[in-house]
Amino acid sequence: MFSLRGCGLCVASSLTKNHLSLARFIGDSAAPLATNFDVVVIGGGHAGTEAAAAAARCGSRTLLLTHRVDTIGQMSCNPSFGGIGKGHLMREVDALDGLCSRICDQSGVHYRVLNRRKGPAVWGLRAQIDRKLYKQNMQKEILNTPLLAVQEGAVEDLILTDPEPEHAGKCRVSGVVLADGSTVHAESVVLTTGTFLRGVIVIGLETHPAGRLGDQPSIGLAQTLEKLGFVVGRLKTGTPPRIAKESVNFSILNKQTPDNPSIPFSFINETVWIKPEDQLPCYLTHTNPRVDEIVLENLHLNSHVKETTRGPRYCPSIESKVLRFPNRLHQVWLEPEGMDSDLIYPQGLSVTLPAELQEKMITCIKGLEKAKIIQPDKSSSVFTYFVSFILWSGYGVQYDYLDPRQITPSLETHLVQRLFLAGQINGTTGYEEAAAQGVIAGINASLRVKRKPPFVVSRTEGYIGVLIDDLTTLGTNEPYRMFTSRAEFRLSLRPDNADSRLTFRGYKEVGCVSQRRYERASWMKSSLEEGISVLKSIEFSSSKWKKLIPAASISIGKSLPLRALDVLKYEEVDMKLLAKAVPEPLKKYIKCRELAERLKIEATYESVLLHQQQEIKEVQQDEALQLPKDLDYLTLRDVSLSYEVREKLHFSRPETIGAASRIPGVTPAAIINLLRFVKTTQQRQMAMNELPKIDQSLCDTDRLEERQL
Amino acid sequence: MWRRFWTLVAGAARGPRSPRSCTRQGSGAPVPGSGATVFALSSGQGRCGIAVIRTSGPASGHALRSLTAPQDLPPARSACLRLLSHPRSGEPLDRALVLWFPGPQSFTGEDCAEFHVHGGPAVVSGVLQALETEAQRRQALRQLDGELGHLCRAWAKTLTKALAHVEAYIDFSEDDNLEEGVLERVDSQVRELELALSAHLRDARRGQRLRSGAHVVVAGPPNAGKSSLVNLLSRKPVSIVSPEPGTTRDVLETPVDLAGFPALLSDTAGLREGVGPVEQEGVRRARERLEQADLILAVLDASDLASPSSCNFLDTIVTPAGAGNPKENSQRLLLVLNKSDLLPRGGPDPSPNLPPHLLLSCLTGEGLDGLLEALRKELAEVCGDPSTGPLLTRARHQHHLQGCLDALGHYKQTKDLALAAEALRLARGHLGRITGGGGTDEILDIIFRDFCVGK
Repeated sequence: MFSLRGCGLCVASSLTKNHLSLARFIGDSAAPLATNFDVVVIGGGHAGTEAAAAAARCGSRTLLLTHRVDTIGQMSCNPSFGGIGKGHLMREVDALDGLCSRICDQSGVHYRVLNRRKGPAVWGLRAQIDRKLYKQNMQKEILNTPLLAVQEGAVEDLILTDPEPEHAGKCRVSGVVLADGSTVHAESVVLTTGTFLRGVIVIGLETHPAGRLGDQPSIGLAQTLEKLGFVVGRLKTGTPPRIAKESVNFSILNKQTPDNPSIPFSFINETVWIKPEDQLPCYLTHTNPRVDEIVLENLHLNSHVKETTRGPRYCPSIESKVLRFPNRLHQVWLEPEGMDSDLIYPQGLSVTLPAELQEKMITCIKGLEKAKIIQPDKSSSVFTYFVSFILWSGYGVQYDYLDPRQITPSLETHLVQRLFLAGQINGTTGYEEAAAQGVIAGINASLRVKRKPPFVVSRTEGYIGVLIDDLTTLGTNEPYRMFTSRAEFRLSLRPDNADSRLTFRGYKEVGCVSQRRYERASWMKSSLEEGISVLKSIEFSSSKWKKLIPAASISIGKSLPLRALDVLKYEEVDMKLLAKAVPEPLKKYIKCRELAERLKIEATYESVLLHQQQEIKEVQQDEALQLPKDLDYLTLRDVSLSYEVREKLHFSRPETIGAASRIPGVTPAAIINLLRFVKTTQQRQMAMNELPKIDQSLCDTDRLEERQL
Repeated sequence: MWRRFWTLVAGAARGPRSPRSCTRQGSGAPVPGSGATVFALSSGQGRCGIAVIRTSGPASGHALRSLTAPQDLPPARSACLRLLSHPRSGEPLDRALVLWFPGPQSFTGEDCAEFHVHGGPAVVSGVLQALETEAQRRQALRQLDGELGHLCRAWAKTLTKALAHVEAYIDFSEDDNLEEGVLERVDSQVRELELALSAHLRDARRGQRLRSGAHVVVAGPPNAGKSSLVNLLSRKPVSIVSPEPGTTRDVLETPVDLAGFPALLSDTAGLREGVGPVEQEGVRRARERLEQADLILAVLDASDLASPSSCNFLDTIVTPAGAGNPKENSQRLLLVLNKSDLLPRGGPDPSPNLPPHLLLSCLTGEGLDGLLEALRKELAEVCGDPSTGPLLTRARHQHHLQGCLDALGHYKQTKDLALAAEALRLARGHLGRITGGGGTDEILDIIFRDFCVGK
């Protein structure tokens, strides 16, 4: 293991090689600058970068603390972003002016929308990303964000003080202690330490304590969290070996080409940085019975697969695929790692066999007969041999996570006031899931400092809401990954309309959205509304429509006139066809590709959404019924609840009746009793509010305290 | 009579009920955990002027208050006019007389409430649904055992699996290797499920008729002896009979027991054109009633088959119904040739070209046994034989099964897979109201069990 201090020095030296603007970077050698921040974010991964940038966008003086600046924005696993469900999350992060979508539009090498033929509600924006470019662009963005400073250092402990009496929680975080003993004071702290908490790397029967990609695990912090009483669980994940590009025989494999034109991830981009013809292809190959044999023959050499640490129900590794679905061919996607990278990432071959067996297994796959697993040049790295070695062989990681039922929907912990958690530490997997939590944690860490109400996305509003509600009410015992089937209002929560769902809230309630984005979203919103009302106003008989658009499968028998909006619902009709048939007033709506496409999507789902709106309203009504935050369920006298239900409510601390009703084991009868309790509490509160004088003086005291701080 | 018996607060059904605890709760808020509250339609089933819904149990006051919000409880034991609205949606249900009987001075000794609502099925079911809580639904689930429960759970299982496979196709088919034919298999499962559900719902309507009585309409040209037949079948003089054609000018109804089945027997005006306005109106009503009939008893004068009115009746009513040979959706009809006493004894069949028919003499009673046997057969078809197969006894089961079937219809119509999945979700949601289950985690469990997906 390394000394933490030593690592900081190594990084400082390696940094001089990077061509980065380091204006706000506080290196180890730099004179200690400010040690007081509004928000301190620990970790520079996908959750940490989003959290730090979001807090800074909200106007908080923010510090990003990371082991090494040169790993900020590192894509430590697959070289791709997005996909089905994950692409939805990215659109929502973008709608709140988050980073990852914009960075992906500058760094991709193969853009493709998945599920094109399955309906726009489930389109999955996805791209292969150049790791190097992504990291560069992310670092440029982070280091140039106003109000955001970056410092290297390992966090060893939290500074804890007395709790604020008006909030629940046993203490309050007011800063962090670094490995070198120095302290940084903060009004809010966001913890995004990923797999660092007691991370262990497993290859074959060997285990090595380590975090992600050669960084050291946070053990001091893990102990502190445990001492505070956080319930900790353990998860495992894995990654495939990397293969030398020139050793693959692509000529005999199925080639997949990117979309033309490329659809950008970000609402504010019309195009991506690279032309379709300059993008790189992906290739598809399959496993075979020989692969199964090698895996099964060597299970005794594979401790990751055998151990009791909970793996997911889905099949993350080739071992689990072979064990649970024997005698089948499994897909392996060969993905480029970057424009000028010599590496290929074999998606679907995550494996923890000993290194020599990994090569044996890979070389019996079609196209990979001569494949070489890359062993990097040892001298080029500042790392020790085994750390560099594990960079490229497949390996498993086992790590601690904190049961996410210990955090609120604003991602603040119940136990420690002003401490926010985001990313893998909450039991999720995936860059996009991490980024989504990062934005929310950053925004709320900032709002908390400003004493503003939290920013919570409901599950009726976005996949971000589904993700956080699932985590905070149900918890998870496998790495939580987003699927569209988790979203009950899938037809409303589409990739195309994330801006209309979140950008306005982000702008008005929080201030995390730029003026430019707000104006773009406002223009789109008014154009859509206008377009839809125009489409509703144009009415012809079905026979006239049939004459105007012969390609449409309109049945002439109907006697009622058809609206243009109804005609647009036909699969074979799009805005272009419609505008050709009725140029006035429709032709102006096809000038913008995105607008024309979104009008078509709105038409497709119009009638179903009408029905869904009612369901959404019902869920929102339940969510409007707030449960008091300081409720002690274990001793609460006025409500008849079983002990089992009390314990469940005590642990998850649901904020609303809606969330409480989704906790497994909380019975409908208990919900009715809680509901009654909430209503009487509300009435009591309303009576209290009729005493404005006392209320006012309380507020004044609050303000006084704020100033003293 | 508690025709429906649902428990209002499921968790509350544990402790023994004591009249004392009811007294304490008489005017205050209900205290859960002290006794179950039941409610039911206590007037007869089916269409009527006013229907009475009663509740009994500690939550009665709460139920009454929540349906009549924002008004408070009415004074005890006096009728008040209140606007009933749905406690959650606020949607107005009916303007109704309500009565409040705090225990123990009530007919059950518990707190009781009565809602006198307008008797249309929509209003009644609206109020009953408003009374139904989530807790109650769970209770109903537990009561749903036996063959119907078994059936519903089997359907739910099939549908959950179909939905999970569509979801797998949406979430994983682009990245992972799903086997061939996943969607095709779902398509055929959905088609089978549709067939099973619609067959069952036909049975369900028979169950409804078994409770409310089948509509049997006696029709025919004037003076064929319809009213005599009605009087004969009901064993009492319901209709005035006279040799004068056009004696019956309105629809007369009487509930009867026909061959062991409850039936509502309607006598109608003889069908003929070109008569006075009163009789004309009677004819119009007769035709209307014919359209709603579960079974038509078509009566002709055996001695007058060649008359224009008889021929006209045969052409317009008997032949379209395909008497004796009913098709899937056509009306059932029994053709009766009355006044067989006027035919020559032992003579040939007066009408070899007619569809299958029965000979009867209302005057002598000859042929009545044959008619009753034929009626028994027909009504067994219409009402369902109560001794075979599960019948849907709850309107809500029928409602959700119909909802499920309707949603499945939308599945077939769409090519957008997200919309198709939505149809299946909606359908599963309806079944879920009967059987529970079908949540995201169950779906994901099936996906990960049946397919090798994930990275």
